[in-house]
Amino acid sequence: MVEAELSKSEQHDELAKEIQENNVVVKNLKTYFFTSKGIVRAIENLSLSIRRGEVYGLVGESGSGKSVTATSIIDLIPDPPGRVLDGDVYINGFNIYSDLDKLVKVKIKSPTNVKVKHYKTSLRRHNKVLSSIRGKWVSMIFQEPFLSMNPVLTIGFQLTEPILLHNLTDLISSLVRLETFSKKNALKVAEAILGEPDYQKRSNIVDQFILDYSLYSVKKYIKQTAENISDPEQMATEFVDIAQTAKLGLKVEKYARMRDYFRLSDRVDDLQLKLVSIEGEIKRIRRRIQELSASSPAGSDELRKMRNYLDTRTSQSEKETLQIKEEIKRAKEQMRRVYPALYFKRILSKRVRDKNIRMAAEKRAIEFLELVNIPAPEAIMNSYPHELSGGMLQRSMIAMALSSSPKVLIADEPTTALDVTTQAQILNLINRVIDKRRGQSVLFITHDLAVIAEMCDRVGVMYGGNLVEEAPLEKLFKNAKHPYTIGLMNSIPRHDVKVDKAARLESIPGSVPNLIDPPTGCRFHPRCKFRMDICSEKKPALVEIEPEHKVACFLYSDEVEESVELEE
Amino acid sequence: MDLTVEATLESEIVSRKHPRVEDFISTLKVFVKNRIALAGLIIVVIYAIIAILDWVYPAYLGIKSGFDLSDALVTFHMSTYLGKPILYPSPITGSLIPFTIGVSYGVPPYGSGAIITLIPPTLHGPTNTPGWWWIFGSTAYNLPIFPVMLASLKWDLTYTVVIVLIGAAIGTIVGTFAGFYGGATDEAIMRVTDIFFSIPFLVLAMAILYVMGVSINNVLLALIIIWWPIYARLTRGQALSVKANKFVEAATASGSSRIRTMFVHILPNVLAPVFVQISLDLGTVIALFATLDFLGFHYTSIYLPELGNMITWGDQTRYLFATPMNWWPFLIPALFLVIFTIAVNLLGDGLRDVLDPKLRR
Amino acid sequence: MKIRYFIIRRLVLMVPTLIGLTLFTFVLLYSLELTHETQLVSQYINPHSKDIAAQLRKAKIALGLNLSFPQQYILFLERLVNGTWGFFPTQFPMFGGLPVLEGIEKSLPNTVQLAFFATLLSVILSIPIGTYIGARPNSVSDNVGRVFSLVGYAFPVFVLGILLQLLFSRAGVVPRLIGVTGLPIGGTMPTFTSPPSWFRAGTTYPTHIPILDGILNGDFSFSWGAFIYVILPVLTITYGLLAGLLRFIRSGMVDSLSQEYVKTARSKGVPESWVIRTHVRRNAMIPAITVMVLAFAALLGGVVVVEDIFSYHGMGLLALNSVLDFAPYGVLSTTFFFGIIIVIANLVVDVIYALLDPRIRY
Repeated sequence: MVEAELSKSEQHDELAKEIQENNVVVKNLKTYFFTSKGIVRAIENLSLSIRRGEVYGLVGESGSGKSVTATSIIDLIPDPPGRVLDGDVYINGFNIYSDLDKLVKVKIKSPTNVKVKHYKTSLRRHNKVLSSIRGKWVSMIFQEPFLSMNPVLTIGFQLTEPILLHNLTDLISSLVRLETFSKKNALKVAEAILGEPDYQKRSNIVDQFILDYSLYSVKKYIKQTAENISDPEQMATEFVDIAQTAKLGLKVEKYARMRDYFRLSDRVDDLQLKLVSIEGEIKRIRRRIQELSASSPAGSDELRKMRNYLDTRTSQSEKETLQIKEEIKRAKEQMRRVYPALYFKRILSKRVRDKNIRMAAEKRAIEFLELVNIPAPEAIMNSYPHELSGGMLQRSMIAMALSSSPKVLIADEPTTALDVTTQAQILNLINRVIDKRRGQSVLFITHDLAVIAEMCDRVGVMYGGNLVEEAPLEKLFKNAKHPYTIGLMNSIPRHDVKVDKAARLESIPGSVPNLIDPPTGCRFHPRCKFRMDICSEKKPALVEIEPEHKVACFLYSDEVEESVELEE
Repeated sequence: MDLTVEATLESEIVSRKHPRVEDFISTLKVFVKNRIALAGLIIVVIYAIIAILDWVYPAYLGIKSGFDLSDALVTFHMSTYLGKPILYPSPITGSLIPFTIGVSYGVPPYGSGAIITLIPPTLHGPTNTPGWWWIFGSTAYNLPIFPVMLASLKWDLTYTVVIVLIGAAIGTIVGTFAGFYGGATDEAIMRVTDIFFSIPFLVLAMAILYVMGVSINNVLLALIIIWWPIYARLTRGQALSVKANKFVEAATASGSSRIRTMFVHILPNVLAPVFVQISLDLGTVIALFATLDFLGFHYTSIYLPELGNMITWGDQTRYLFATPMNWWPFLIPALFLVIFTIAVNLLGDGLRDVLDPKLRR
Repeated sequence: MKIRYFIIRRLVLMVPTLIGLTLFTFVLLYSLELTHETQLVSQYINPHSKDIAAQLRKAKIALGLNLSFPQQYILFLERLVNGTWGFFPTQFPMFGGLPVLEGIEKSLPNTVQLAFFATLLSVILSIPIGTYIGARPNSVSDNVGRVFSLVGYAFPVFVLGILLQLLFSRAGVVPRLIGVTGLPIGGTMPTFTSPPSWFRAGTTYPTHIPILDGILNGDFSFSWGAFIYVILPVLTITYGLLAGLLRFIRSGMVDSLSQEYVKTARSKGVPESWVIRTHVRRNAMIPAITVMVLAFAALLGGVVVVEDIFSYHGMGLLALNSVLDFAPYGVLSTTFFFGIIIVIANLVVDVIYALLDPRIRY
């Protein structure tokens, strides 16, 4: 796990704290699409955070930029038309876009004639970094289940893909552990189980036991034993016997070597991420200096302190970088010594061809299918996407997304394509399956306020590519501040608010703004009932007017957002 | 507040042009941007202009009206002196050029009765040939290649265009009919096209020509017979998918007769891939045409100036002389043919790029 | 198990096409009877006999030319099934006087040789190149690939064949420049001064495929010699085939790349090379494989032009010679044979497609 490197003089830096505490922190994100009809400014200067263990809802009409936000967080923007141009996204403390300006260079000759030059090597490294984060720390489920699954591959194949990519070490460790399961281990587990008075925690220990030793095939017997027997010795003997039947008779030595190899490989990956984050940190400090020198007079105390800090940090980081590179080299050499054949094979293809590992992955995948309430999971594993119904397919997508226990699940309108009863099932499923206590959070994107009301802890309202209001659920529904949000609330039938029977549902006049040529100033002003003169000239900034309640509207604050120009 | 909003909407409507015109202009713009396709178009247009000029006003190209290579044959027979230059009116331009009888090697190229022998082609050509085209050398009968090429374009292009257009017309109507009416007619027509697709075009052409005998009309007929199934298949598929659109149902519901629906609603929407296919087929048919001539199916006589024919002559001569200079009679007609087929394919590709995404819309 | 029903269903659907094919061939035959009656009958007549008219009459009755259209059709079908497909005229080069089937038997394997190598080479080249190009749309390599495909697709086959002959044959440019012997201008296989037992009547035994028979009989130098004759024709065919396949694979890849499931795969953290090789390519290859099989079948149909230029004695040349040298049964038989090959190939392709694409239900 990579944590942002903190140094003493930055401990009070709010940003660093935010990065540490939240699962996802988005700062000043800017994504444009360069089309033949002009430049679509999908999102500009967007900032939000997703806290640990919360469900954050992003709501807005079609074209408001919510899907673009989600895909920008993990950089899935299709490159020929679009590109993330600016901003930082910290997932689990690691900035994905730390090398953003090295990736592309955009030359704007005219709105319809834009040349984007790609720097292939940096892009390749960027993509490699992203591959190690996607699926592991953050995963995504999409709107159309039938289109989002590959029709020519079985569900099983697509489910085991992320497991084999991200959880390989765990799988192999559990295989090795199973093969070396002895009476001593069994005794320890039995004592732990019997020593725990609370039923729920006891079953957690049993589940963990099954997970650690990959005992899915004999799950039933283990659970029975754990419930019925009260003598630790007896339980341990039972466990050993049961595990004996589950053992595969593998060559333990080979798999132990494999496990060590992959442990080293994981370490190398982490180190490489660390390298990237160090670079990113330096860049962040530099930018902070720029901001400071722009806003405060030159020669001020803080500016000087930051500059000194930058110098010390730069030399420090150079040393660190060298250290890390040394370590990487050493680790790679060790990898080559531990299992040379694997070292060379992995360069060619990352596909795992070992039958036992694949079987273990499949068993784990079946576990997840059971978790999402899919009946007869073994049969589903061998089916193709078109053979399942929409609901089942969406559930398997959720299983797929959760199989590597990501910190954040991004759900992009997962229920819009399903009928209402299935919708309810899926929403309940998501609620049940997300482990809020472990810190898993969800970014839930939808246009349906009812779904928001059902699922979310905090809500962000998007309009025309900007976040215009952010508040906890209750506050938003009871006390919406932004005129657009108020309009939205008034346009749906509400049974929780007393309304005059004769009052009609309001609709917001006008239509969604064209993102190629958006309105000046506040993008909502052409449709706003409370429009003032300043609204067409300046753009309001997103300001926290009450604790936990942010609005971007001149009705509540005078802060102006600096206009974003078409630079580069 | 409401007034301002409405005012904006109204001004938007007024400033827009008629949608069809706007569409067409934007399509043209996209097409022009594709410079390769544009090059293809220009080359095809040049060829077309030459062919048309040849029909209408051959003198512009320096070719005698009604040119046929057998004219050279006649003058050849008339010469009886060996080794002495003879002046004779050029069959192409009509002006006097010196004429030498060469030594003949090898086998007469075609059938029985040919008393002709080939004159070794030279790189320089007859010294008095007017014009700069002596650089392309000369082919059999001491004819300078370039003007013969220009003359041959007329025949190739005309026949190709005739075959493709008529085949396309017949095929499109049959295919739309089959796709629209469906059921037994559709099945029957599809079986018929299946037969034509299961035998390679060349073999089919050969068989039909064998049965009908080789003459220019038969060749045209045979190729048209072979070609229409392509368009039938193409338009049938298109018609099926167009038929599934709601506006067809709407048209029938509002009382349009079946034939009217077919012609007014379905046919225009089916045409886009047909145009692409026509432009590609121009290249295929001209190659097929030349191939047939090359293989030995001479359409009117062996003296028709036609690209395939000229390539055959070139092919014959190279057996006789192993020096590169003698490749000219082969290379020049081949080059003309290849440039045309490549240009046509570029054009077709460009058309497809332009029309396809529109179809998807 | 279920694939069996699928095959049977497709076979049933094939019947009308087969009937249509036989009908078409029969129509050709019937029109030949109307236009070229003498040719049809001439080979059954003894030219030196005294009473040619009587001979003609007898031959006509024997052949059934006096029967009505439907009756002749049934006779035709009987003969088709029996294997009596007619004879070549006595003056026919190489197979004069022999039954047509024997001519086909001896010419087809040569064409199989050509088709096999051409398809093999095209497939081996097109898959990696097509994947590489398809994964990088609008890049430099993509544009090069497109130009290559365009030129290859548009280049008339006979021009290319002659060009290759000019360049690489024994008297051509390159050998004379470099000083090597060069490839032969034409021909099917090397000749023997003293033919061994497995070489009689102008072809090899047991399979009539020269290269294969050389290997089977242990004479590798013969195989190599036969291979030399095959190189130039194969190159000629391969260029056009490769161009077509490349274009097809490329567009398949580009199509698949724009699908939603690619986004899903990337969001799972699948590395890009894996995405392209597994997710995208598998979808793009399914139609491509069917095209390859069809191409092989079409090539079996005889690349007439190539065989003519290189004097390669295969099915195509047989068909051409039948037409030019007036062997009516030869024309009919080869036409019918080509049709059958492609109809069967279509069936095979449908089955392969059903096996490969899980969305097809059977």
